[in-house]
Amino acid sequence: MQVSPQEAAQALQAIASTENRSATLRHYRGAAPHLMLWGLLWAVGYGLTEVMPARANAIWAVIVVAGIAAGTLIMFRTAGRSDTWRFAAVWATLVVFCAASFAVMPPSDGRQVAAFIPLVIAATYVTAGIWFGSRYVVAGLAVAALTLGGFFLLREYFLLWMAVVGGGALLLAGFWLSRA
Amino acid sequence: MAKLDDIIHQPIRLRIMAALNVLPGNEPIEFTRLKAIVGATDGNLGAHLTTLENAAYVAITKDFVGKKPRTRVAMTRGGRRAFAQHVAQLRDILDGADT
Repeated sequence: MQVSPQEAAQALQAIASTENRSATLRHYRGAAPHLMLWGLLWAVGYGLTEVMPARANAIWAVIVVAGIAAGTLIMFRTAGRSDTWRFAAVWATLVVFCAASFAVMPPSDGRQVAAFIPLVIAATYVTAGIWFGSRYVVAGLAVAALTLGGFFLLREYFLLWMAVVGGGALLLAGFWLSRA
Repeated sequence: MAKLDDIIHQPIRLRIMAALNVLPGNEPIEFTRLKAIVGATDGNLGAHLTTLENAAYVAITKDFVGKKPRTRVAMTRGGRRAFAQHVAQLRDILDGADT
């Protein structure tokens, strides 16, 4: 088979673009159950915090541990061992970063904590999206916009807002990624 | 100089192999997703997959999820090797043109 340099270049370009698209869709497929999981956990966590604000710390301790454990289990079943450790390391980084931020800048209001953590998560999605696929960017921007909108415009109903709209947005984003 | 692989070089099959090449190990991909990535019709993709399967470059498994039939495709070790050689040949052609 005779192939000209121009045809070879076209074939290599087709390979690169197809590999890129396949890798992006694989990323989306892997991330989808995590977004749906955290959508449910946000709905439960913020909903319970709205009902029992005095128990917010205990509620979120259980939610975060349950989420990380379930997420690690999903990774273990769907990805390789090295990816599972990376996943755990990312979560450890986020938890330590948030704890350190609260130590340096102690929040004066529980709603600040309730807004700050979703904003960190949103920033993580946007950062991941810059590298791995635009849908993460859209999901991160949506979560950030909904969080800021609820925080500044619906202060009295912020926790309820985050339970229904924030959790719902993550669920929808997960569904959207799974259908990519 | 080794020859280009006629089976792989066909444009749709080239895209099929590229899509499978980024999946680690022998991780499979569902037919419907592969169709979306490659941009082929059901019949066209099925025919090209049969060609690749006959060359032992891909393995096709069919099962059911509930009552829905599911077809999954994975690259074989031989397929991965053949694809790597094909890509190397394409680069050699380009490098030859540059020098």
